[in-house]
Amino acid sequence: MKKRGSLLADAKEVARGWRWSHRPLVPKSVELPDVEPHDFPTAWARTSVGRAARTALQAYALKPLIDYEVKPRVEGLDVLQGLRAPVIFIANHSSHLDAPLVLTSLPPAWRDQTATGAAADYFFDVWWRAAATALVFNAFPVERSGGKGRATHLAGEMLNDGWNLLVFPEGTRSKDGWVRAFRMGAARLAVEHAVPVVPVALRGTYQAMPRGAGWPAKGRRPVTVRFGRALRRRDGEAAHEFNQRMRAGLAITLSEDRTTWWDAIRNGKQDAASGPDVARWRRVWEASAPMPVARKAFPQR
Amino acid sequence: MARPGFVLEVDERTPPLLFHYGEGFRLEKLPLGSRVVYPSEPLPGVRDVDALIAHALEHPENCEPLSALLKPGMKLTIAFDDISLPLPQMKTPDIRGRVMEHVLEAAARAGVDDVKIIAALSLHRRMTPAELKRAVGERVYRSFYPESLYNHDAEDRANLTFIGETEQGEEVEINKRAAESDLIVYVNINLVAMDGGHKSVPVGLASYRSVRHHHNVHTMMHSQSYMDPPSSALHHSTVRMGKLLAEHVKIFTIETTLNNDAFGGPAGFLQKREWEWSVRDQASYLATKRFTDRAPAHVKRKVFGKMYSPYGVTGVHAGETGAVHEKTLANVHRQQLVEVDGQADVLVAGLPYVGPYNVNSIMNPILVVCEGLGYFFNMYKGKPLVRPGGVMIMFHPVANEFHQIHHPSYVDFFEEVLAETTDPSAIESKFEQQFATDPWYIHLYRNSYAYHGVHPFYMWYWAAHAMDYLGDVIFVGADRTTVSRLGFRTATTLGDALDMAAETVGSSPRVTAMKCPPLLLSDVR
Repeated sequence: MKKRGSLLADAKEVARGWRWSHRPLVPKSVELPDVEPHDFPTAWARTSVGRAARTALQAYALKPLIDYEVKPRVEGLDVLQGLRAPVIFIANHSSHLDAPLVLTSLPPAWRDQTATGAAADYFFDVWWRAAATALVFNAFPVERSGGKGRATHLAGEMLNDGWNLLVFPEGTRSKDGWVRAFRMGAARLAVEHAVPVVPVALRGTYQAMPRGAGWPAKGRRPVTVRFGRALRRRDGEAAHEFNQRMRAGLAITLSEDRTTWWDAIRNGKQDAASGPDVARWRRVWEASAPMPVARKAFPQR
Repeated sequence: MARPGFVLEVDERTPPLLFHYGEGFRLEKLPLGSRVVYPSEPLPGVRDVDALIAHALEHPENCEPLSALLKPGMKLTIAFDDISLPLPQMKTPDIRGRVMEHVLEAAARAGVDDVKIIAALSLHRRMTPAELKRAVGERVYRSFYPESLYNHDAEDRANLTFIGETEQGEEVEINKRAAESDLIVYVNINLVAMDGGHKSVPVGLASYRSVRHHHNVHTMMHSQSYMDPPSSALHHSTVRMGKLLAEHVKIFTIETTLNNDAFGGPAGFLQKREWEWSVRDQASYLATKRFTDRAPAHVKRKVFGKMYSPYGVTGVHAGETGAVHEKTLANVHRQQLVEVDGQADVLVAGLPYVGPYNVNSIMNPILVVCEGLGYFFNMYKGKPLVRPGGVMIMFHPVANEFHQIHHPSYVDFFEEVLAETTDPSAIESKFEQQFATDPWYIHLYRNSYAYHGVHPFYMWYWAAHAMDYLGDVIFVGADRTTVSRLGFRTATTLGDALDMAAETVGSSPRVTAMKCPPLLLSDVR
């Protein structure tokens, strides 16, 4: 039974109810329809001062923090050889750990040249959150509601300026740990600007810090970041076709991480990334199963 | 611009919602999918109230201008709504006083000397000099009190006039001075749709002999609801009486409407939508909660009693009663009416610290019942918010506490009448006459500040429709013994109450809650 009458109990009730540690939410039934958003300037974060500050923050604060909280394993960086900026990194998205993990997994030269798409309504709602996100992640606002080309306008300009982009084409974090349908923004950008797309498969982040968690779970959970082979638009390929191929590419990369490269390419047409078509709890159950800790390839005897 | 009323659907994003809990407050998490009816935000008040009043008096509805009705040598009686309105009391200057000043200035210009100002309190308690002064303003009070500004006395046989009977045999008897006047000017505050119209003079200035014809169980059972005059037998009766009265005496009605800006300053959070609470609002809530949890009851009452509302005036209309009231009701609806789709199985409401009959007083258990099952339940037009046989859950401590000066007959009603039965019809037939004619209660009503002996019966009748309609009534956080005497059930928490309600409405009920403050009138489709 709720204990009434103590100031602490009342304060806790208010703190929980109004989400002191998170953003306040508006009930869906009274949420206003799409309002023309206010653009938060982010160009300052890409000046030489901003870049220097970010390099230091990522190398000496973000990466040590990630390494302290989770146990990352990075695979497939060799796919970057032979590629030149700009490219678009697309990753599956189920956790707030995803963006920092991908960024800190990239070689410094690539990382310094990569900007991250972040939901405008989530990360750019108040000035202090927007400023911190822009500085640490070199983030630019992505309008999830789309409309008037806002969603891709700034991203296109950045590609033209030679920035790599890290985007999450699902548009939001997965609720059950499996990959949702892709939105079209990333595919359109890749087609319009003729840049390669690098799928990045993230595994373990859902277990380490799922939606709703404010901090990674204790125990340094294992996570893997696997870079897949770059995809390029084929001649005459429409954006929606390329979008499907992007999703398949990510699915293969995920599958490769879960099984082997050989199994993954043999079963490439099977979209295991969407998860089994079963009750929601079973999907969550399977997705949240602990990741096996990677064994060393040549265990010492 | 004021945002209109709406129905919120509670989801996982909805913060706890604020409910009145007598002289305290509660934050409650309603089950997901519950609906909460929110009224419109306060409509903008009229900036130049004096100009509005002057315009209404000179351009009345269906009537000559007031200045044309005022003649030298005439008898002018100004009657006004008593302390039961508005709730909470408004910041000074009270709109009644402002209107009266305009009427009196016109009377002075016309050379009217014989003016009496009467608080139309019917069977309510008398207003104290300080309360009268607050309502009419210092200037009027100084000029007229006590000889020409006084309380109506419904038991002063020498000063009552029998007007006649309506076609349905309803006796009309009102204040003699008013009945013999050349003109009655009635000044009201129409806070809710029940107020005003022909309910003003034929009730406010009447005697028990007259009031009993509509303040009874039969009429209240056929008033569905009494907040919707066209569907209210109570109003049908007062209209008949008012029309009869109008044949004998000229009545110039002035009705005013207020917006629902009941709480300002640090208490402003009370009427804000919870998900829009700022950090300051949350801090104000915590401070208020701390105060209401810790402070003794008499201190809380004193503080709440001094919280005057910054209402804005949304309309002033004058002239012939029926025509004026039509415009007034439209104003009330503009502020309070919210369309709701369908009825619920369970209605949830938090009952506030103040009702019409405990201003500067104590809300005793019978008044709690009247507030919840009378006023809150009946705040509908069309159909009730809850289905027939549904459950009403209310938050109120329902303490066994009575104001010994204001509510003496309530104490006996609680101890003697309710101990025997809670059935309104049985109570009416067996006990009403005894209480209504008891000389001691009449003495206290006339000479002290007591409500009439029959008044607790009316409070019980006010709830008769709800008692008959509902399958169960549960008070959350209430005194178990007291609520048991009232014939209802108690629960410790809302969760427990919903579990108890499941016995009546099943385990997956549709729940609808009323947001209060401010006041709302639901239009259930």
